[in-house]
Amino acid sequence: MFPKQVHRYLKDFFQETDCQVIEEGEQYLTVQLTIDMDKRIMNRPFYWKYIESTNGVPSPSQLTLISDQNNLKDDVKGEVIHFGSYRLNQLFEVTKELGAYVQMFERLSIYDDPSILTPYLGVNYKVSYFSDKTKETLYSLGINLMTGKIIEDFHDIVTQIDLVSDVPQKAIPLQYIIKPVRAINRLDAVIQHTIQLDDHTWIEEAKKRWKRDQRVLEYFYQDTEEKPDCYEIEAKALEERYNAKVKMEIINGGLFYLK
Amino acid sequence: MMIERSPDWEEGFAERLEQHNWDSWTLYNMCYEIEKANLITEFTGLQSPKYLPNLTPLPHQLDVAQTVIEKMNGKAILADEVGLGKTIEAGLILKEYLIRGLVKKALILSPASLINQWAEELNNKFYIPATPYKKRCSLEHIDIVIMSMDTAKKSPHRELIYDQDYDMIIIDEAHKLKNHKTKIYEFVQSLKKKFCLLLTATPIQNDVFELFYLISLLKPGHLGNFDVFQRAFSASKHNFENDEFLKELVNQVMVRNRRQDTGIEWTNRCVQNILVHFTKEEREVYEMFPQLRDVSSVFSETFSMITLQKEMCSSKEACSLTLENMSQNCSDEDSIQFVKEMMEKLMSLEINAKAEKAYEIISKANDKVIIFTEYRASQIYLQWFLHTKGIKSVLFNGKFSKSKRDYMKRLFQEQAQVLIATEAGGEGINLQFCHHVINYDLPWNPMKLEQRIGRVHRLGQEHDVQIYNLVIVDTIEQNILDLLQTKIDVFEKAVGELDEILALKKSM
Repeated sequence: MFPKQVHRYLKDFFQETDCQVIEEGEQYLTVQLTIDMDKRIMNRPFYWKYIESTNGVPSPSQLTLISDQNNLKDDVKGEVIHFGSYRLNQLFEVTKELGAYVQMFERLSIYDDPSILTPYLGVNYKVSYFSDKTKETLYSLGINLMTGKIIEDFHDIVTQIDLVSDVPQKAIPLQYIIKPVRAINRLDAVIQHTIQLDDHTWIEEAKKRWKRDQRVLEYFYQDTEEKPDCYEIEAKALEERYNAKVKMEIINGGLFYLK
Repeated sequence: MMIERSPDWEEGFAERLEQHNWDSWTLYNMCYEIEKANLITEFTGLQSPKYLPNLTPLPHQLDVAQTVIEKMNGKAILADEVGLGKTIEAGLILKEYLIRGLVKKALILSPASLINQWAEELNNKFYIPATPYKKRCSLEHIDIVIMSMDTAKKSPHRELIYDQDYDMIIIDEAHKLKNHKTKIYEFVQSLKKKFCLLLTATPIQNDVFELFYLISLLKPGHLGNFDVFQRAFSASKHNFENDEFLKELVNQVMVRNRRQDTGIEWTNRCVQNILVHFTKEEREVYEMFPQLRDVSSVFSETFSMITLQKEMCSSKEACSLTLENMSQNCSDEDSIQFVKEMMEKLMSLEINAKAEKAYEIISKANDKVIIFTEYRASQIYLQWFLHTKGIKSVLFNGKFSKSKRDYMKRLFQEQAQVLIATEAGGEGINLQFCHHVINYDLPWNPMKLEQRIGRVHRLGQEHDVQIYNLVIVDTIEQNILDLLQTKIDVFEKAVGELDEILALKKSM
């Protein structure tokens, strides 16, 4: 993420979370945090406990974030923020919390005839492979909650559609037949199947490295009758390092009612 | 294949279905975009540089990070020559593992004097929240902690450390682990080392067994067990037949960059061994030492004799302290009398030939000079001596606190011509603004010399660096010089070439 992207991100984020932008330049912005946001990111639980127990007047912080320190012309004091900085990571975390579940409807024009909207469950997965190395893949799947049909690259498709969060006037959203919880299980199965079919030489390679290091370790202690604790500790370290693991997690998802 | 799957999301989703409080579409999309931007799409390659826009690592540092992670599987000795940025390399590796989620908790062991420097570098350059250990803080709550080796090996800290589950251990100045009989060695041996970096510019200081123990700590068995190693590599301590084979094995767990391989323009190192002749009076005193052995059993140990002779080559001040201490154990009249006479002769010496030579070099250099000596007494003497010649100097030693070091460094930079450091001053200060180094006396260990030179011959040095090794002719110092050369040969056979330290190759 370049400074411009970071700046854009900050602006969108604070706008979307109702934190008012008080001042803005090309390389920085100053925002008035809401009480909720202050609690989430300013890390001062004692202050809030005190205000709440004394019924005091809350005064959430203002924050000046500089996204492009190098080109800063105005005399601005604030936190320098960039891809990789603590503050941005923290805002990323908040974004994940606040952007996990949606329900959206396809927008209908008022000139349209009344239309039926079909329910879909869309889920974005992250699959991570771990040994002493890592690799991650995103999968976006959707499932038609009437027919059970599965759609790949679902996120890319829905982002092309004009969506609104309230039911449009002339829309007739269908009640789903497949329960969302069951649908998640089906999508999980699809992901698991995809994982099975993936190239897993990485597991074999990690095993090879593990075996080789284990052999070296055995060699060191071969003449020792009773193996000392450090042998066990080292063997355990090897296991933790090379043992292959696959993790799947859901980033976000939701219900989509589409034409 | 086991697939781990967290049920958290579904639980939240079921709740939303009932309560109908949905999140913003914009944040939903931003969330997906963030995941995409942070996605690690390849097993190989470094992710860390893109998270560190304010750091421009040098090519060799990136190479090291990648090699350690991809070829050495995260366990390695980082043995770059002094001044090439081993801390940066370690930071890159740690950052990479943190980003990839392979390391959550890390323990960094360093000399006490470097703890704050580590904390600063990791926090400011790498945005890694590393915290210096304080007795009161609980290790459970700090994921990345920096501690001195001396603290770590002692109760109750060692037990507290063992209770934690560290994913990565980084040990700076790891040559302090060369002796397998020490408490710190045992402590590190019993630590779980999933990922582990040992940082040292000097993996061998005296003999090849130090390298064996260091590697056995990192990867037991890599060089075989002790018996096998001894049989294969030490027919004689300083000669191995299978140099190439050993080097190959060592290179599997050790990365070492030399200044000249870094692609950076380095200034030259000009090393001169300057031969100094004792004055007639000094020589007389020096020749009396062997007689001491016949006079009293107090002086019969070779070790004490060598110490006295070495000190005599430095200054009468250094020598007289030891002589005085030792003579207190003398009981019979004769020996007391002899030592007394000797003391008188010693104290009546007026000229210190070596100090005169040092003065001559300083005047000729007409520039900032660092003098390294092994003895506190010589350090103080030299300051006085230079003062009488109208030369301003500051003292430096490793026991100084960080703020005092910085202060002395500034004094040297701004006001004094000479900095006189004891051995302990060798680590952890950077003095690129100076390019004359006088080794007033020689240590037993060539790596100490390298560490000393490394204070000035590092990134940022703009001039050729002049090194003067002072050696007094026909004394123990000439033996030390030979021994240093032998040790350098051992190092070069097992580890690789060294930058010039002694100037022997040319002169012999």
